[in-house]
Amino acid sequence: MRDRAPIATDVIGESRSPTPEVKVRAVARVWACALWGLETALVTVEVDVANGLPAFVVVGLPDAAVQEARERVRAAIRNSGYEFPLRRVTVNLAPAERRKEGTGFDLAIALGILRASGQLAVDVEALCLGELALDGALRPVRGTMPRVRHALARGIAAALLASANAGEAAACGADAYGFGSLREAVDHVAGSARVAPTVAPAPAPPERPAVDLADIAGQETPKRALEIAAAGAHSLLLVGPPGTGKTMLARALPSLLPPLDHDEALAASAVHSVAGLVDPRHPLLRSRPFRAPHHTASPLALVGGGSPPRPGEVSLAHCGVLFLDELAEFSPSVLDTLREPLEERSITISRAGGAATYPARFLLVAAMNPCPCGHLGDPAVECRCLPDAVERYRGRLSGPLLDRIDLRVNVPRVPYERLRDEGRESSATVRGRVLAARERMAARLVGTARRTNAELTVADIRRWCRVDDDGETLLGAAIRERRLSARGYHRLLRVARTVADLAGSDQIRADDVAVALLMRA
Amino acid sequence: MSAAIAIGPADPRYPPRLLDLAHPPDPLWVRGEIAVPLERAVSIVGTRRATGYGLRVARELAAAAAAAGIVVVSGLAQGIDSAAHEGALERGRTVAVLGQGIAAYLARTNARRRRLAAEIVRAGALIAEYPPDAPAKDWTFARRNATIAALAEVVIVVEAPSDSGALITAAEARRLRRPLYAVPGPIGVAACAGSNALIASGEARALTGAEMLLASLGLASDGAVRRTDGDTGRILDALAASPLDPDALAKRLGLAAPALAQTLARLVISGEVRPCPDGRFARR
Repeated sequence: MRDRAPIATDVIGESRSPTPEVKVRAVARVWACALWGLETALVTVEVDVANGLPAFVVVGLPDAAVQEARERVRAAIRNSGYEFPLRRVTVNLAPAERRKEGTGFDLAIALGILRASGQLAVDVEALCLGELALDGALRPVRGTMPRVRHALARGIAAALLASANAGEAAACGADAYGFGSLREAVDHVAGSARVAPTVAPAPAPPERPAVDLADIAGQETPKRALEIAAAGAHSLLLVGPPGTGKTMLARALPSLLPPLDHDEALAASAVHSVAGLVDPRHPLLRSRPFRAPHHTASPLALVGGGSPPRPGEVSLAHCGVLFLDELAEFSPSVLDTLREPLEERSITISRAGGAATYPARFLLVAAMNPCPCGHLGDPAVECRCLPDAVERYRGRLSGPLLDRIDLRVNVPRVPYERLRDEGRESSATVRGRVLAARERMAARLVGTARRTNAELTVADIRRWCRVDDDGETLLGAAIRERRLSARGYHRLLRVARTVADLAGSDQIRADDVAVALLMRA
Repeated sequence: MSAAIAIGPADPRYPPRLLDLAHPPDPLWVRGEIAVPLERAVSIVGTRRATGYGLRVARELAAAAAAAGIVVVSGLAQGIDSAAHEGALERGRTVAVLGQGIAAYLARTNARRRRLAAEIVRAGALIAEYPPDAPAKDWTFARRNATIAALAEVVIVVEAPSDSGALITAAEARRLRRPLYAVPGPIGVAACAGSNALIASGEARALTGAEMLLASLGLASDGAVRRTDGDTGRILDALAASPLDPDALAKRLGLAAPALAQTLARLVISGEVRPCPDGRFARR
């Protein structure tokens, strides 16, 4: 990526070496990058300064924020000690047929104007991203990472950005130059005061998981469910009275998952970059995201949207865990919006100006109380809920959502004397089994985009989920007696496949089917 | 559903046992099989806030009585009443006595009990002593509870806290000299305080199972108690008192949870054990 491929383009004209005499060019061209969701497109900012009545026009489907760039750019140029040309300035954002959003074009427009008006003597051969303040200071923008990666893929190795964004760009492998102001950027390009490229920040030290399985007393069955969920990426519902450790169990889940590989880290970090949530010191995520939106979250917050569209929690949890505590307290309309990301593993937000697609491959863990007071089945506190109230409470979860949850377990109150039990397994031990199971899955799914058992298609199931005779008898009985639907049957087999993988078995045995049956939501 | 019909005490279709009441309902509104309330019957009543154990016992007693051809009478409330009706419908017939007009009840109740009511109309009857559109009032339920006692030969209180309406049914059963039984419950559980007190005071006899209920009606139980041996029997025993989560079940049996999985799964498939929506397991 580092070697500078020739910029494949019509853009930059004749002489590239800084020439001493100021040469006025008719049209200047500078690279910028547009962003819709995570979709990116290289934009050529063309600036023409012509004779005529003083005017400043931006064309090429700019949105309101881009239109307003005119005011910021005009003031920033003047306040940086340059002259805003008193001529007809036309800025075109090409390709012109798609709407451009956001404030990231300011720097490119300003540099284009300076170049076209002859105040900058050399062409700008880098991706320019940044918002200008009226005094000429350069401000960071959201979505640096996907834009820089796009430019890199198109052979543009250098990026000029606000200092706060430079780390992100460097982490993607670009020659990133960070500036505090327009003036610094111009001086750098003109060669009068070069800035050293930003060194890619050292990756963050691997985070210690918030909770280790060994921290949790008892709860053998919930822990086993966590292990199965982690191995096969199966969604999980924890039901139990308050204070029994549902949240702790959920927070232990990231410690069981395989580490982020490089592609996953880039994909997850790109979403965080678009949301403006990147830590400038450690722009690349090292540990899997764990998102726990509050139950008052709106559909917009959960799945994303707005104008310009921002990724929601489901996308911020991409490659990680989405934890919905107090699941029954979420508004039903909010929970309904989860169906698309759970099914498609991405979310498309359609708006008048076009559609934005964000990835959303997350592992869903939900927790809820068994009844409105929370104490149904709690030996410590008597439940005071009427049966109808319990039913209404559970009725808040729609069938279609429950249909997409693979595992359900009860998290009971652990008696005091068992809080001090010994010989608990640590997360590292369990993670070893999870990794081995994941390897078995990967070997089976090699050559496909699927990685885990939760993603097995019906054809995969037919091919890979062979059940031994005893298991077949058990399955047959379940279908006959429990009226298992086709969807339920496939879900059961996916989970049973994971249980067998954790046991290192190629064939699904009766025990595996039984475990899957008992944890079926 | 057909409309309800009204019958007076002089009507030959009027349940004769209701004439034992000081003020027999006049008229009695019946919807469903008009002859069912005339047959031999047992009343099974209890609290709305029932425990898992109470629900299972109500269901089992009702199913045993219905299988022996006895009509199960109850009040179609949540909790014990609904469990008794459901148990009876598995094996036979049942009658629900409402504390308000039949149409008013059907208009107000939730979908689940409306479905249950429809099944009762098919395999028994809904009856009320109030005109179809009469709304519920506090005192209408007290009278209904007395009617439930009168309509049966034997009255069983499964679980009742100390202020339960089921105790009105018990008191009326005493007045009418109907044999009264209560199912003993654990000490310290509010849902069982009233029914235990009935046993303590000697007003009710402690009921030990379906065989005793059938014997009180002069019937032999249909078969010996089914004994299941091995792990299956031990699981069913362990779940008899209350639903358990898999870890607690395994601990009680002294087994590891994985060793239990297949046996438990088979019991779930056969329907003898039911997974609760909260992930615990209960005996059906």
